This record gives sequence, structure tokens and C-alpha cells, in this order.
Amino acid sequence: MTEEPPIESSASLRLAKGPLVGPALCRVVSIVLARAHCPMDQIDDAMLVCDALSAHAPDHTLDGQLSFAVSARGGRFELRVGALADASAKRLVAESVLPGVGNVLERMTDELRIEPATAGGAGEELVLGMSF
Amino acid sequence: MTTDMQIALPARAENIAIVRHALGALEDAYALDAQTLSDIRLAVTEACTNVVVHAYPDGGEGPMEVLATMLGDELHVVVRDEGTGISPRPDSPGLGLGLPLIASLAESVQLGRDERQRTEVRMTFSLNNAPHHYDGAAARNGAGAAQAATATQPVGAATAQANPTDGRAADTGAAAGPATFGATESTGSQ
Repeated sequence: MTEEPPIESSASLRLAKGPLVGPALCRVVSIVLARAHCPMDQIDDAMLVCDALSAHAPDHTLDGQLSFAVSARGGRFELRVGALADASAKRLVAESVLPGVGNVLERMTDELRIEPATAGGAGEELVLGMSF
Repeated sequence: MTTDMQIALPARAENIAIVRHALGALEDAYALDAQTLSDIRLAVTEACTNVVVHAYPDGGEGPMEVLATMLGDELHVVVRDEGTGISPRPDSPGLGLGLPLIASLAESVQLGRDERQRTEVRMTFSLNNAPHHYDGAAARNGAGAAQAATATQPVGAATAQANPTDGRAADTGAAAGPATFGATESTGSQ
């Protein structure tokens, strides 16, 4: 049986604050990572990150909408979350603590930075990266 | 009207799987029954396939967007592209079942363009009675016949008709200005 080559892909997701945030984000991230041949344990890690983001990010939106830019290419996964209200990306990271695990966003990713919103928009973005 | 979920992807065949998988979030969030979700997935897959196959000819690539909005007991889904528009294509590789299939699954289908002249297929699904479960034989028998979807525009009265050759529709209103989606196709008899 020959193994399918990895599929590198990217997707943009815009979600209104509500019940779809968690399921939609987890589904898109998991399929993008799986098609890129990300190992199962790291897909699990990414799901924890998605759970943390969907639990806390909706409290920090500028307009009740969250944008997620997901990409997996060259063994690298990146997730951008925006547009967050000014100074709230840091709070979002601080809130993402699981008892017994610690800070999920910091522990499960190898890159975490805060940037001004893209395209000159208001607010800021949280950028998370993970190699696999 | 606030869109609940919007996905934007390059219009490639492999990305249709991402759309299908993402639509499963509707079941997780709103406890849709499996058959209704299956119908929604099939209709949206057909619309996305039309974008991949027809919207960007000659190997071109462009965006494909899927928007889903829950309004009461209805789900409104828009599949949008920035391609050439919906027009007859005698050399189409398809069987011509796409639009009839969508029409048989959705409560209503509307074709047209948005204010930025992007091509849109707008579908409405009833989540209450879900009476339009896919009947393959009916869809095949009806291909190119009564399921023609209709869109109206304020200027030029554009009309879109199902094309029996490729299942897309002939949109004669491409240059007629911003579209409003007026007439809809009732699909209750499919």
C-alpha cells in the first residue's frame, strides 16, 4: 500500500460568537493537520489549543466575530486568531490554563506572538505556531 | 444578518473535503439529524464542485467561500466565487446533475451575484421537516427539466436557467448591476 503524499493547505474561518466556534475550529484544524500528515499526538495537542481558544477567545472579540487563519505546510502549523480587542491577546493567553496541565497555549505550541491586526484593521492578532 | 460560519479556501478539489468536514460542526452545535446534515453536505458539495470545475477555467485558481447562517429553523448557505460567472458550457465534463440535485435537496435555490459581482449559489434548508432527502432516481430523471433555478436582478431582469449539459446555469445578468435575490425555486415536488 502506498502512502498518500501530504497535502499542504490553508483555510480562513470566520465565526460568530456562539455554539459553532468550538466545533468548526476543531474540525477545520484537525482535517488540515491530518492531511498534512501531522502525528496524532500533535493533532491532540492542537485540539487542546482549539478548545482553549474557543472557550476564551469569544470574550475578547472586537465585534462578536472571530477570524482564524489556519495553515499547515512544510511541517509547520500556524494558527492566527483575530481580531482581538487591544491588549486582550495577552489576557487570552493567561486565561488558557488547565488544572494539572498548565498554560495550554504556551505548552502546546513552540511559537506564540501578538501582532497588530492584519490589513491595518483595528485590534490585534494572536499567532500560534507548531512544528510537526 | 450575521453569518455564523464563513470558510474561505482556494477553489481546489481537495479543499471540498475541508468544507464537508466543517459542515459537521452544524450537527455538533445544533444537533441536526444525520439525514439532514447529509443532504446539506451533498448540496454544498455539488455547489463547491461547480466552483472548482467551472468558475476558474484554463487552470486558473481563485477563492471559494462558503457561508452558513442559522435563521430560526432554517439554514442559509451561500457558496461564492470570483470566477467567470454561471454560463452554459457545452464542453462540460459533468453529467448535468449538479443544480437539479441541489434543487431537490434544498428548500430553495437562488443564483446570482453579490454587490461585488461575485457569483453566488444561495441555498435554504429547512431544519424542521427536512422533507427533501435525496432521491437519486428523481434527481436523474429531472436533470435539466423542471428544476431550473431562477434569480432576478433589479436592473436587466437577469434570468438563470439550469443547463442540461453541465448542471450549472446560464446567468445573463452578469453586467446588470448588484443582484437581489428575488424569485426562488420551490423544490417540494422533487
